[in-house]
Amino acid sequence: MSGAITCSAADLATLLGPNATAAADYICGQLGTVNNKFTDAAFAIDNTYLLFSAYLVFAMQLGFAMLCAGSVRAKNTMNIMLTNVLDAAAGGLFYYLFGYAFAFGGSSEGFIGRHNFALRDFPTPTADYSFFLYQWAFAIAAAGITSGSIAERTQFVAYLIYSSFLTGFVYPVVSHWFWSPDGWASPFRSADDRLFSTGAIDFAGSGVVHMVGGIAGLWGALIEGPRRGRFEKGGRAIALRGHSASLVVLGTFLLWFGWYGFNPGSFTKILVPYNSGSNYGQWSGIGRTAVNTTLSGCTAALTTLFGKRLLSGHWNVTDVCNGLLGGFAAITAGCSVVEPWAAIVCGFMASLVLIGCNKLAELVQYDDPLEAAQLHGGCGAWGLIFVGLFAKEKYLNEVYGATPGRPYGLFMGGGGKLLGAQLVQILVIVGWVSATMGTLFFILKRLNLLRISEQHEMQGMDMTRHGGFAYIYHDNDDESHRVDPGSPFPRSATPPRV
Amino acid sequence: MDTATTTCSAVDLAALLSSSSNSTSSLSAATFLCSQISNISNKLSDTTFAVDNTYLLFSAYLVFAMQLGFAMLCAGSVRAKNTMNIMLTNVLDAAAGAISYYLFGFAFAFGTPSNGFIGRHHSFFALSSYPERPGSDFSFFLYQWAFAIAAAGITSGSIAERTQFVAYLIYSTFLTGFVYPTVSHWFWSSDGWASASRSDNNLLFGSGAIDFAGSGVVHMVGGIAGLWGALVEGPRIGRFDRSGRSVALRGHSASLVVLGTFLLWFGWYGFNPGSFLTILKGYDKSRPYYGQWSAVGRTAVTTTLSGCTAALTTLFSKRLLAGHWNVIDVCNGLLGGFAAITSGCAVVEPWAAIVCGFVASWVLIGFNLLAKKLKYDDPLEAAQLHGGCGAWGLIFTGLFASKQYVNEVYSGDRPYGLLMGGGGKLLAAQIVQIIVIVGWVTVTMGPLFYGLHKMNLLRISAEDEMAGMDMTRHGGFAYAYNDEDDVSTKPWGHMAGRVEPTSRSSTPTPTLTV
Repeated sequence: MSGAITCSAADLATLLGPNATAAADYICGQLGTVNNKFTDAAFAIDNTYLLFSAYLVFAMQLGFAMLCAGSVRAKNTMNIMLTNVLDAAAGGLFYYLFGYAFAFGGSSEGFIGRHNFALRDFPTPTADYSFFLYQWAFAIAAAGITSGSIAERTQFVAYLIYSSFLTGFVYPVVSHWFWSPDGWASPFRSADDRLFSTGAIDFAGSGVVHMVGGIAGLWGALIEGPRRGRFEKGGRAIALRGHSASLVVLGTFLLWFGWYGFNPGSFTKILVPYNSGSNYGQWSGIGRTAVNTTLSGCTAALTTLFGKRLLSGHWNVTDVCNGLLGGFAAITAGCSVVEPWAAIVCGFMASLVLIGCNKLAELVQYDDPLEAAQLHGGCGAWGLIFVGLFAKEKYLNEVYGATPGRPYGLFMGGGGKLLGAQLVQILVIVGWVSATMGTLFFILKRLNLLRISEQHEMQGMDMTRHGGFAYIYHDNDDESHRVDPGSPFPRSATPPRV
Repeated sequence: MDTATTTCSAVDLAALLSSSSNSTSSLSAATFLCSQISNISNKLSDTTFAVDNTYLLFSAYLVFAMQLGFAMLCAGSVRAKNTMNIMLTNVLDAAAGAISYYLFGFAFAFGTPSNGFIGRHHSFFALSSYPERPGSDFSFFLYQWAFAIAAAGITSGSIAERTQFVAYLIYSTFLTGFVYPTVSHWFWSSDGWASASRSDNNLLFGSGAIDFAGSGVVHMVGGIAGLWGALVEGPRIGRFDRSGRSVALRGHSASLVVLGTFLLWFGWYGFNPGSFLTILKGYDKSRPYYGQWSAVGRTAVTTTLSGCTAALTTLFSKRLLAGHWNVIDVCNGLLGGFAAITSGCAVVEPWAAIVCGFVASWVLIGFNLLAKKLKYDDPLEAAQLHGGCGAWGLIFTGLFASKQYVNEVYSGDRPYGLLMGGGGKLLAAQIVQIIVIVGWVTVTMGPLFYGLHKMNLLRISAEDEMAGMDMTRHGGFAYAYNDEDDVSTKPWGHMAGRVEPTSRSSTPTPTLTV
């Protein structure tokens, strides 16, 4: 904190005259107490801020669970929701055991962290439990994204394996590169040691979280192939519509709500003056970040509304919801370092990127029930590029430390180095996630642990593996008594629902 | 921020210290001490900004959560065939509202310096040189945006199930970008002609109208706008039969209604207490534990008590009137209690909040009976709840505002509640607020809805209404619980043949089993 309150009793005493030692001691003692109280207050305030931001990010798990549930067919609802609960649970354990250490255990040579396993030697002067919880909430977000791509056709044991691996290793390593003070591409490295003199700027994780989750999902969905019935023999795409638009909207709004912890919370501290005594400080940057987040999502939603009206002839609420989320995924990288008008540009482009990636997916017969790879992977990548174009020098200096002559957004006159660093980030994330998760999914497929059987897929996994249908609206719909516990098939002669 | 600023004059301090050795070192000692005290003052200022921004930001996030609550309440209250439509309007209220409020709505509301009618300082349009001054940061903008979209959301409830989507876009942008900001300028800006926080001592009736978190500014504006929309377009088909008897067109999911109601309740803890904007302010040096944080807490308590009392009153009165315990009605009663207390939550005693909620319940029941008599159809009872209970809330404040709290929240020695001995001036200002809001919203939104109606842009066709808008305009039914319900896998012609409007049925096949 600037302007530390110090006091040297010896110096003060000489200034106050021969019998003033007691007075000086007293005054210095009081000033020391005041200083301590300020330090305590700052920690209390910053921890309050970070903890409540962490709870908001956690609420995004709930949002994603509802979004996923509403986007899949009713017969697979319990399955997808269970994967969301388990992402959080398994992630909690593995991130605690070693994920956090890989991510933030300094000091390292830049690739991977190696201290604080199972939160040993914790808290440190720079990181308290609130920071761990916050980072855990981020880690499980990444794993949640991937589950959307492989929904409706993946064996449950495959979920457990990929999720632990992603949250416990793949994701933490990426977050180490870009967010740890030691990471090789991190903008938090000392000024003379940064990639292209800047480091890659990914404030809250368009790349670290959204691209990682999206690219992992891409490989899972590619390797296991589309859902049955998704693409006809002639190549025509059939929409396998989700079963509840209400859950989709509920989930989307909850994600929006939680994003106010995800983006502004990534400052981790709010009590940081830029010029002590002025009304402009980190709290202003945080407010601006919340506004940028809002504007990007809203613009993306409106653009998608009208874009889809032109393309498909009607106003589609689930498409608007996805567009909204794409706007948020994109602004996540640059939310703290751009002007509000630029956030509007970000959202507008994100909508077009999502529509484009979806068209491409249909062309290559790629099936992703939540459009996760297109949304988080595609709009996440756009978000990183966007930073390289629109980042403002003043805000970069406020957020990442004043560095004279630092590169900033190309369109703002800051040269091409930042954009270069952003492109490196995109390539490296795609490469790393492909090499790790692609291999994992391939191995799981080879071991026949990835995709479920055709029969189970037609019946729906809730019936065959999760104890029964998720919904029972009339008493005689309750078919659980008809299922033989030893067999995945119902006892009755009723043919499986198609 | 606390006005007791920490200042220090080195020369004065040196004079006091000059009994020690020589004056030069006294001056040095004094300079040192003064600079440290200045440091302390700056740190205190930084701390206060951090605390207050944290408080306001999280309050803003809570108010935003009310959008979700209202979306679920709306969804559950309409028939299944219109679910996607109403939820899309809720998403779009927020999205379009962000753009219009950012571009000009916020400037109209709070751009200062300006005149008493509307804000117009250029630096507020598109937040161009923001934050300009202390006390008004991005957190304030976000908070006010969240309020603005709440008003537009209310109106969508009145015109649900029968309104063209383009009409929603138009009315919503106009309401959030112009009609609402103007009203909030009058009552909440330091320049506003009727504002209780008016800075130039020219208060309306020496009091100004007290509408702390917006019973009038938000709820009445949304409700009266909805009233005109619903009046101009008329009731839903089948709502009132030929003999004038009313037929309940029940919503499709009580679970969504309760979910939405609880989320609105949750968010109201940002809406009411958050309207203090800051929390770090002491009120009374002799009682250091009593400050704005206490008032914030008290406001949360009055909010809670009013809603709960309204809910219980509605529970028992509906049991008497209708013969059963009705959760949907109780939810609406609860919300009516919140809408009413919103005006005076900060300036009344907790016992008075109980009175507020009790009366709010009867006001809502009364307005609903009146609506039935006049064959006014409002799927969410929005005009009755937000308009009616909102107006009661303003009157309530004029009756029950306590002297101590009014003078804490709004400085000076001013009129307070009539029944508390404070005279009639505050009540008069409240009544002026009611009249002026009804008048302004009527002359702006009334002609807008009428114009849309004349251009055939307001109401959908009878065929579309019977089929349900999700099917005809939004790509399909909202729910598909069995694979054979998923009509997207069937040829288009097959689906079109299944939609048959009949005089009795309100849903086409496939039937939703909820």
